[in-house]
Amino acid sequence: MGRVFINCNDAEVLSTREQYNDLNSKERFKLKMHHSHCWRCRSFNKKNCKFTRTLNGLNWIKLTAAEKAKIRSRIKDAIERKL
Amino acid sequence: MPEVELDPKKWVDRYSDYLFNYTITRVNDAVMAQDLVAETFLAGLKSAHRFKGKSTERTWLVSILKRKIIDYYRKINSNKGKAEVRMSYLDNNDETGDWLEERVKDLRNPTVEDDIEQKELGEALQECIAALPERYAIIFVQKTIDRMDTETICKEHDITASNLWVIIHRARVQLMECLNKKWYKID
Repeated sequence: MGRVFINCNDAEVLSTREQYNDLNSKERFKLKMHHSHCWRCRSFNKKNCKFTRTLNGLNWIKLTAAEKAKIRSRIKDAIERKL
Repeated sequence: MPEVELDPKKWVDRYSDYLFNYTITRVNDAVMAQDLVAETFLAGLKSAHRFKGKSTERTWLVSILKRKIIDYYRKINSNKGKAEVRMSYLDNNDETGDWLEERVKDLRNPTVEDDIEQKELGEALQECIAALPERYAIIFVQKTIDRMDTETICKEHDITASNLWVIIHRARVQLMECLNKKWYKID
């Protein structure tokens, strides 16, 4: 993406990368330039930010790797006993 | 010939987090939730021959888990179960407290409703993630929930960084649409 003006597909991917703080200053500038004249991508960016806030607000409860390993070994034992 | 075939070796990777979330919102005990998830998988293995392939693996496992949760509540509501709960309370070296009163939640606490909403939203999102193509789901979870760095994920899946971002972008678009239908409008 050497050019200053980008198309909507590129702008949407940049908007997603921005949610993960993955843009450098050049890319951020390109995205801003695109948003200055494209209401559709501006609107998508708004939704994308809201979705990120939703994700960040969730308490993700996950099993740890050790807990999963424990369950896995119980299943493995059961399969072996069955065979 | 069943329409969907079971693949027990992948159950833990694919469904354990979803089932654990489902259970913990219903039993409020992490250790018990882990046990119930493990027991669900084992029961699934035992009754695998009865799986007709009419539903997805996950739906089938959830139906087994629901029965396990009901059994769990039956057990703790039996007299023997109540005695076990009292014993475990006394084991905490605090014999002076009123164990029943201390276990009752304060429903006037304004965060209770928020908690429920968060749990339900989390469940809806888990369902939407499970509906994504498998590769999209794995990469999205690794980047967004596990917060793994881009390089590691790219190496693991043998893809370029731009491929990764396109996958994450598509996954997010699908998730937003799914949540719109299931939960609320993101606009």
